Amino acid sequence: MTIAELSRKKVSRRAVLKAAATVGALQLVPPFIIKARGEGMVKIGLDNPLTGTYAALGKNELVGCRHALAEINAKGGILGRKAELRVEDSTSGDAGTAVQKAHKLIDRDRVNFLLGNVNSALAQAMAQVANEKNVLMIDPGGHTDPITGTDCHWNVFRVCNTTQMEANAVAGVLVKDYGKKWYYITPDYAFGHTLQAGMEKAAAKLGGVKVGGDLTPLGTADFSAFLIKAQAANPDVIIFLTAGEDAVNSLKQAVQFGLNKKFHIAGAQQELEVLEGLPPEARIGTWVFEWYWKQPKVAHVAQFDAAIRKITGKVPTARTWFGYAATWTCALAAERAKSLDAVKLAKALQGFKLPPAVSLMPDGAFYRASQNQLIPDLYVGNAREKGEPGEPEDLFEVTRVVKGPDVAGTLEDTGCKMTWPA
Amino acid sequence: MPSLSAIKVGRRIANAAVWLALATMPYWMKAVGGYTELGTEVVVLGLTAMALNFLLGFTGVLSFGHAAYFGLGAYGVGMTIRYLVPSTPLGILVGVAVGTTATAVIGALIIRLRGVYFAMVTIAFAQVFYFVAFRWNSVTGGDDGLIGWARQPLDLGFAQVDILHDGRAFYYLVLLLFAVSAGLMALLLRSPFGGTLLAIRENERRARFLGIPVEFHMWLSFVISGLFASLGGTLYALLNNFVDPHVLHWNMSGNLVIMAVLGGMRSFWGPLIGAAIFVVLQDYVSSLTENWMSFLGLFFVLVVLFFPRGVLGAARGVARFPAKS
Repeated sequence: MTIAELSRKKVSRRAVLKAAATVGALQLVPPFIIKARGEGMVKIGLDNPLTGTYAALGKNELVGCRHALAEINAKGGILGRKAELRVEDSTSGDAGTAVQKAHKLIDRDRVNFLLGNVNSALAQAMAQVANEKNVLMIDPGGHTDPITGTDCHWNVFRVCNTTQMEANAVAGVLVKDYGKKWYYITPDYAFGHTLQAGMEKAAAKLGGVKVGGDLTPLGTADFSAFLIKAQAANPDVIIFLTAGEDAVNSLKQAVQFGLNKKFHIAGAQQELEVLEGLPPEARIGTWVFEWYWKQPKVAHVAQFDAAIRKITGKVPTARTWFGYAATWTCALAAERAKSLDAVKLAKALQGFKLPPAVSLMPDGAFYRASQNQLIPDLYVGNAREKGEPGEPEDLFEVTRVVKGPDVAGTLEDTGCKMTWPA
Repeated sequence: MPSLSAIKVGRRIANAAVWLALATMPYWMKAVGGYTELGTEVVVLGLTAMALNFLLGFTGVLSFGHAAYFGLGAYGVGMTIRYLVPSTPLGILVGVAVGTTATAVIGALIIRLRGVYFAMVTIAFAQVFYFVAFRWNSVTGGDDGLIGWARQPLDLGFAQVDILHDGRAFYYLVLLLFAVSAGLMALLLRSPFGGTLLAIRENERRARFLGIPVEFHMWLSFVISGLFASLGGTLYALLNNFVDPHVLHWNMSGNLVIMAVLGGMRSFWGPLIGAAIFVVLQDYVSSLTENWMSFLGLFFVLVVLFFPRGVLGAARGVARFPAKS
């Protein structure tokens, strides 16, 4: 019997499955005629993680972007044209995909602004593309220093702080309030090393000393050996620079060892998303937040908080604000430049101070000229086990608001030497 | 069954169609909702998957660690331009040399292993390179990646080609290198050497009884495969103007194997088709839903279940045994 004869006999199970699969696949086939591109729209492209490790952070930034976009359009759009957000998933770690999506947004969708990325490495890769293509880019939440430091570009702006600014902010408070002898628990990879170097540099300026430290391999489950060593060194403060699962394990074990009773526990950057993910007993220590939703004395914050709660049912986080401020920056730059030309936009943002309704901070925030870095307030405070009754997300108690210019260092410190296109 | 000459004519037509499609890609990409860089990525990853398939499909040896040679090529070109000489061709040469040397050394160490043991050891070696790149911050930039470099204009002597800002020019450079590589691989496969590789794939023991130095042939195939994979890596780095340790990660190796299997590992063009499907599907579906990885996975499962010879293998099956109505 040949195959042809076989197939004639009856409709086989396989044929039915094949047909089903084909029909399923057809749902994904692009429509033959391309939809009208809406030439009149001003397009903002967001190339940010929606999947993987940073998905939660990326999605909160997306919420902020969408909210800002709605406000912008309600106020008449950008230069009188409606604004539109194009969202692409950059993945959490694959630079190839992030770059491909950046090309897609710039070359195919012709976006006027490019936003991204939570992952610093991907943000740097995107900055290369944006610079090649002369598109204004705003990095909402990728912290590594070179983006507005040694590898700064005229067209790349950043909303979130540099790691050095965060280290400076928290170091000042720690030295003042808790003591000068520090012990470091640092994850052994680029981000950890940079963070520790930043903390040491900040501490040294204020007379802080390092009494010891350990580099812990990524994915360490048992920190007891490191914690015993830390205890023996008898520091004033134990600095935890661990992130993700490592942070959960190290902080939990520090509490189990009773270290939080004997020493002060602290770290550098912390986020509400991370605190919410920690078991309550591990929510300890002094940290720096880049924005906090509970600022009763600052105008507009309550409205922003209420608006975001209406959308997500949760409070806005620093990430939500990053997305919000980044998107508004696009609109404000265009208003100021009266143009969508990247060079004019970038010039318009030099030294530009965000209006209070966007900065949502007691002292406001401005883009430092010739560095393109936003200089905002920073919020140093303590993590707490649980919020007030009725406010389960109030997991951070701000003790000091640090002014950005005090911790940003000089322009020479950043290492940024900007060259503008001729 | 169609006659042999008919198959030959069919194959010629198919080859011509592939080349025509590739040569005109930048001109029709926009019309179907794509963009030039997407085409470049398809060609680059297609070349790499074809290189992997030289080993997998035509020698019958599964390497699950080709990201190592791909990534070494990528770091080779990046670091050459960043630290040594700002020259694209020299960077490509260095990248390929580094990747090929690594394949030759590692291949010599592990070529006696078979099957899953071979695959596991290739993963292990690739992960070694991954962690070196991840940890050696001062040189590779660690997790943050290698930045501060970009592809340099090509100096042809009589003219300069700006491959940095002109995406099309870069595409044609990639296509040229792809054509040379594909031609070389096809020539090798048609030669007696290629025949020997097929013999080893079909029955290693018999090949050994015939007096073929099996290990040497496998090693040579591994090195050739690594050479073209590292060329793919250099082009990938140049496309992104960026390298990070992800290119060395076993995820990357896995994706390359998926591309080869998806397209069809018994056919020469299969991996290119696989890469095209993989890249375009990812590009398209990921804009529609954040659960795009499930769709990609589902598609792969379906292909493996129902078309074990890959998309091209299935298409060829239909052409060769058309169902009579």
